[in-house]
Amino acid sequence: MAANRKIELNIKVNNKDYKLFIASNKRLLDVLRDDLGLTGVKEGCAIGECGACTVIMNGKNVCSCMILAGQAEGAEIITIEGLEGPKGELHPLQEAFMETGAVQCGFCTPGMILSSLVLLKNNPSPTEEEIKEAISGNFCRCTGYKQIIEAVQLAAERMRGGGM
Amino acid sequence: MYKIINKSVKRIDAYEKVTGKAKYGADLNLTHQLYAKTVYSKYPHAKILKIDTREAERLEGVVAVITAEDVPGNNIMFGKFPVLAKDEVKYIGDGVAAVAAESREIVEKAVRLIKVEYQKLAGVFNIKEAIDKNNGKVHSEIEDNLIEHSHHLLRSGDIEKGFKEADVILERTYQTQFVDQAYIEPEAIIVIPDPYKVGVEIHGSIQNPYSIRTNVATVLGLKINQVKVVQSTIGGSFGGKDESVMLMAARSAIIAMKTGRPVKMVLTREESFLESSKRHASKAKYKIGAKRDGTIVAVENNVYTQGGAYNNKAMFVNWRASIHAAGPYAIPNIKTDIYGVYTNTVYGGAYRGFSAPQIVFANESLIDELAEELNISPQEIRIKNCLKPGDELGTGQILLPGKIPAPLEKMINNVCKKTDFESKRKKYIKERESFNPIKKGIGLSCTFRGAGLGGEGIDSASATVTIDIDGSILIQSGLVEMGQGMRTAHAQIVAEVLGVSLDRITFCNTDTSVTLDCGPTVASRGTLAGGNAMLIAARKLLDRLHKRAAIMLDCNIIDLVSENNFIFNRLDKSRKLTFKEVVEECLKGQGLSLSAQGWYTPGPEKLSSETGRGNAYPTYSYGASVIELNVDTQTGKINVEKIVAGYEIGRAINPQIVKGQFYGGILQGLGYALIEEVRNKDGYLETKNYDDFLIPSSFDMPEMEVTIYESDDPVGPFRAKSVGELGIELMAPAVANALYNATGKRIRELPLNLERVLLGKTLRK
Amino acid sequence: MQNFNFIRPDNLEEACDLLVRYKDRAKLITGGTDLIIALREEKLPNCLEIIIDISNLKELNYIKEEGKYIRIGSGVRHAEIANNKLIKKYAPVLSMASSVVGSPQIRNKGTIAGNIITASPAADTIPALIVLDSILVIRKGKEKRKMFLKDVFEGPNKVNLKSDEIVCEIYFEKLPLGAKSNFIKLARRNAVDKSRMNIAVVAQQNKNKEITNIRISVGSLTPIPERFKDAEDLLLGKLPTQDLIQKAGKKIAEEMINKSGYRWSTEYKEPVVKSLIDRVLNGIVEVE
Ligand SMILES: Cc1cc2nc3c(=O)[nH]c(=O)nc-3n(C[C@H](O)[C@H](O)[C@H](O)COP(=O)(O)OP(=O)(O)OC[C@H]3O[C@@H](n4cnc5c(N)ncnc54)[C@H](O)[C@@H]3O)c2cc1C
Ligand code: FES
Ligand code: FES
Repeated sequence: MAANRKIELNIKVNNKDYKLFIASNKRLLDVLRDDLGLTGVKEGCAIGECGACTVIMNGKNVCSCMILAGQAEGAEIITIEGLEGPKGELHPLQEAFMETGAVQCGFCTPGMILSSLVLLKNNPSPTEEEIKEAISGNFCRCTGYKQIIEAVQLAAERMRGGGM
Repeated sequence: MYKIINKSVKRIDAYEKVTGKAKYGADLNLTHQLYAKTVYSKYPHAKILKIDTREAERLEGVVAVITAEDVPGNNIMFGKFPVLAKDEVKYIGDGVAAVAAESREIVEKAVRLIKVEYQKLAGVFNIKEAIDKNNGKVHSEIEDNLIEHSHHLLRSGDIEKGFKEADVILERTYQTQFVDQAYIEPEAIIVIPDPYKVGVEIHGSIQNPYSIRTNVATVLGLKINQVKVVQSTIGGSFGGKDESVMLMAARSAIIAMKTGRPVKMVLTREESFLESSKRHASKAKYKIGAKRDGTIVAVENNVYTQGGAYNNKAMFVNWRASIHAAGPYAIPNIKTDIYGVYTNTVYGGAYRGFSAPQIVFANESLIDELAEELNISPQEIRIKNCLKPGDELGTGQILLPGKIPAPLEKMINNVCKKTDFESKRKKYIKERESFNPIKKGIGLSCTFRGAGLGGEGIDSASATVTIDIDGSILIQSGLVEMGQGMRTAHAQIVAEVLGVSLDRITFCNTDTSVTLDCGPTVASRGTLAGGNAMLIAARKLLDRLHKRAAIMLDCNIIDLVSENNFIFNRLDKSRKLTFKEVVEECLKGQGLSLSAQGWYTPGPEKLSSETGRGNAYPTYSYGASVIELNVDTQTGKINVEKIVAGYEIGRAINPQIVKGQFYGGILQGLGYALIEEVRNKDGYLETKNYDDFLIPSSFDMPEMEVTIYESDDPVGPFRAKSVGELGIELMAPAVANALYNATGKRIRELPLNLERVLLGKTLRK
Repeated sequence: MQNFNFIRPDNLEEACDLLVRYKDRAKLITGGTDLIIALREEKLPNCLEIIIDISNLKELNYIKEEGKYIRIGSGVRHAEIANNKLIKKYAPVLSMASSVVGSPQIRNKGTIAGNIITASPAADTIPALIVLDSILVIRKGKEKRKMFLKDVFEGPNKVNLKSDEIVCEIYFEKLPLGAKSNFIKLARRNAVDKSRMNIAVVAQQNKNKEITNIRISVGSLTPIPERFKDAEDLLLGKLPTQDLIQKAGKKIAEEMINKSGYRWSTEYKEPVVKSLIDRVLNGIVEVE
């Protein structure tokens, strides 16, 4: 069996550039959690099903457990830790999740918010069906999704209004 | 009237969760920590002949390997769980050894180097095999595989006489499957050896810190006070993060003591499904007798729950089942027997509902079958028989008007009216014959649920409330937050009592070295018992503050009011002090303590073990629901379109959180009804991850309309009762009843998956 | 997680060279949504040395129209195919299939070539590509060869591709004007679930309503994905009636039993495939 050689990895995470040397069989999920300490990225299944590990990579939501670290070379990544404004202002989605009761145990929340963010970037006025579609790869065992959908609707409305 | 409670305020733990800052078990790391992993059994039942750990020990980076031989104290914990199996493995999730290494990669390699020689044994894998005496034993000391103390009964009236009076008698058998809680966060534990007390400190995804503390202490041969358990933020539990976490904590603690280094153990999803508890599978035989007019005169039932290889909960689960098995109906003659059996399979434990989903599926399906037999409507038969004020339960307890509410009649009628139940039901029966393969159906179910632990055990709860010099308030409870919103409810109660704004309050995760042992956070008792303890503690503090303020304002203590962060004289509102001023005076000026403990217990409930009769619970909550669905009769696919449900819960401390509990419970209930199933084949687990054990996605969510009924039930804090579990249990029977309405096919086994719905029977690989 | 070294070539040329050099000791990765699961379970042969990442190669990432053909680079992701205008216009059946793969996250990574090469019986794009009579362009070093998609499959999860070969392109003829296509997926859960069965069909009728073109493929039915020629022959040139459509469904069910044997799931699949064929055809064919 081959030994893992270390590879160099240049990535931009939450607007910061990193140059890392990591084992070649690490997943992007491991790099974000272990090397960068971004523990807002969660691991729930490691097989791409649950979406807890969702991050935004080059504008698209992906499961970071389904990406080898080396595949992220040169990529721009946003995790939940990158959503707050420069003064710690919360993103409208974060506010809305708090207000509508969309958070219970919170384990799905980071991934859920990031998938919703990608949706709202591409579609500022999503229908309920489109929201369901956008978060269909993010499992939540606590909320039954209803208040999450309400949160996305509320955030969409506020973001359209140009407020915040 | 209320300032803070009964309002949908933001959760007090939401900020750290939406920002990703909340620390769950797996997010904690310590320098020099070891990574530990368990070596699991290869067979569902086998003798262990030899364990060879040498090769693993030789691997560079491996620091410790432990087997049953290394357990310093008692290897057997509550429920007969071995920390590590010694001579025999009894199910596929038994641990035989644990390894700790410098990295995750190394420990993953090392577990595969442990060589175990087994001698395979025959096993019993389902309820039928367990009852059949010739199939072997799971525990050699137990002849009939019957779990100790798991038989609970209820005897009311004269069952034979009851059936003699009946015009119609039906006998039916219902079966349910094992399911997993499937919380999205897999279990995680980190154990720190504590050189000062020569003990351990345990952090992680722990639902019941106190039982873990006691168990780990016995395993290590330490005193209870040498083990400290601190709960991390938990990513869902629903009853599940208990036995598996206890096993992980015990193994990791042994290694931590042995190596003097922190030990971290995080389960993969596959390990979590393998080792964590499940909702008991069940087989329920029911016999029901009724008069022509629909009056139910007798119910006899015989229920077996499958407990798996070990037993942590069957005795409790079955006791609850015994009280509720005849349903929320006034029935003069009841004979109930509930048994638990051991099998060489994954084991049953606590899962939201705690026997209700199984029992309610059986009983509420049966009521519809009876209605059909008598040719009356499902609504009418329920209205005729459901518990009403003044009725007597099977246990003999009387639903005294003004003391214990009984609003089911109104609730059933409301959900039916909202959905136009009767006319749709009739219409869909007619449409069964239509050409369209997609049929519509509508189904009804109702339930009642004893609040809190009741006669299951002593229900007591502790709380500590501390006010600091700046007027900020710290609350601590021995009951844990798992996502259900209990902390927020507690904070609302304290803020309401002290008349302060919610932003003053923070909470501290449960820490066994600070908060008092008050039993497990189960049975939806977080608000009922825990909230009462908070109320008591807060009132003690209010008393102290008011005593001081009365002197400061020179008025009578009874005229003082605390509201909006002020304490004032209600007779002259200009005579006021800020909350902070009074706090400062108490702490600095007078040297008083502004920390108080609340302890609440409704006291023991008295029950006879011969008849099961007595006051089982202090009070009850109620629910009724109607489900509308369509079913593709050519594929067996059920599509639930809409759910209209009503729940009576006393007072909603936070209506938004309460609704969230119901929405979540409803979707779990639908998963249970339709797609979830932990499949065992001859004791081997077939459903290993989320690709096989399917839980509902956002696309599986129907339209949900939940109505909360409030009542003035006096038991809970500000009249709040239980919320957490009620949502789940109404779903499966309502779906089965709606399926019958749509197709004329009655299916008595869950889940109602494609094959079962199409063929009316189970297909297995 | 298995051990390996990771290489990310800058262009296709380099990737091909690496493969030729390492052969069995190398494995390609694109979306990784199948491969990483196998790596995690350590299911790849022990001789594995390198993983070659071709996910960023522009040369494999295009969808274009060329005369009567539509050409798709092997590295195109499901999400792009699902939303692509050319595909929606000339091969809607493929767009429909790609849009129901996994979840948004999976569709943002998973590629068409990965779906083919994994060759899962439940794969969603395969039946769609089969009814499009797709052709693969395969490269080994500098050599290129073409092969009908249907010929690449050897059995469940097995393809006859050499370890030094790369699939570069999938192409097919645009569906003729007036041809209709349809795809349905049956799964237990409404999202992120493997198909219990999926059906892709293309059909065309002339002015007299006679069927002039019919192609049917069903996933999860037979060991090797294929078109159901017997059923197609039954329909071809005929005026479709309900009776005829039912016969076609029956033919397909028979063929399933012939090829797969009578298995635990047959009792379920047999009636279901009949009904679904009926439904999917009725969705696009004008029946007498
Ligand atoms: C959660 C989840 C849900 C899923 N749901 C579905 C579903 O609903 N329907 C469905 O069909 N599939 C589903 N899949 C499977 C998977 O997403 C698809 O098969 C996907 O298309 C694979 O593509 P990939 O690029 O990720 O392949 P990879 O994992 O990168 O590669 C797969 C295989 O193809 C080989 N390969 C890749 N590119 C080439 C090439 N150019 N030439 C030669 N060999 C190559 C690789 O070496 C590897 O052996 C799901 C997967 C996950 C994790
Ligand atoms: S952890 Fe990546 S999808 Fe579940
Ligand atoms: S809030 Fe617990 S999983 Fe979504």
